[in-house]
Amino acid sequence: MAITYEDVSDSFRRIVLSGRLDSKGTDEIAVKFAALSTAAKRRVLVDLTGISFLASIGIRAVLSNAKALQNNGGRMVLFVGGNSAVAKTLEATGIDTLVPMFANAAEAEKAALG
Amino acid sequence: MTPFASPRRPIDPVVQLSIRADSDETRRASTWLGEAGSARGIPAEPLWRLDLCMTEALANVLAHGGPEVASNAIELRLDVRASGSGGEASVTVSDRGIAFDPRTVQPKRRPRTLQEAEPGGHGVTFLRQFADALDYSYSEGQNHLTIHVRWNHEKALAEKGLR
Repeated sequence: MAITYEDVSDSFRRIVLSGRLDSKGTDEIAVKFAALSTAAKRRVLVDLTGISFLASIGIRAVLSNAKALQNNGGRMVLFVGGNSAVAKTLEATGIDTLVPMFANAAEAEKAALG
Repeated sequence: MTPFASPRRPIDPVVQLSIRADSDETRRASTWLGEAGSARGIPAEPLWRLDLCMTEALANVLAHGGPEVASNAIELRLDVRASGSGGEASVTVSDRGIAFDPRTVQPKRRPRTLQEAEPGGHGVTFLRQFADALDYSYSEGQNHLTIHVRWNHEKALAEKGLR
């Protein structure tokens, strides 16, 4: 698993996750993902286009961080691009309705900043 | 044919793997399933569903199976069968943990807000939603959960607009 980020502005951060978000993969990035998504940046876009496999433990990490961010007055959105496996997995749990999910990058960014 | 050439042996439709109960081994099981499934002609989409369901079944065993799980191997068995213009594949997960039939678990209610959402509990949702059928039995101290997926090549082509 890999995790990188870019601070687009003072209040907007893009986090890019790539690899296999199963139990082992989630363990590898959990601490950094939580720190990056709940830090001072109030709007966070999580790019999941490079995720090759998303297990429930990975969804758990996304959900926990989205909740913590909201509790701090922030907002998280998910960008999946054309990754249909990740989209189907998120839709199966209904998480996509709680943490907005977008296939289009510009729409994702607009929703994060809106 | 030269005297040294041997006819290609048909690939065995059944293959088994024994793993220890930890997350590294769960990853090894997925690698094994991906390689064995591809070699046996399981298309990418049903192979992904099978991997997801097996991963969730193993996560349940590791999290809730109790102390017997740690001291015994978990056995995995992949069966692949052709049928008509498609096929069926199944993975059976056998473990010595606490008896647990995931088919008896009520589906998790969908939360209406992020604050209401509880992290976790989605593994059984995935099993129900992404498997085409689930079988379960408990015998001689072992859980046996079988996850079935099916596919139809003609239907898949039609959905892609190729037929």
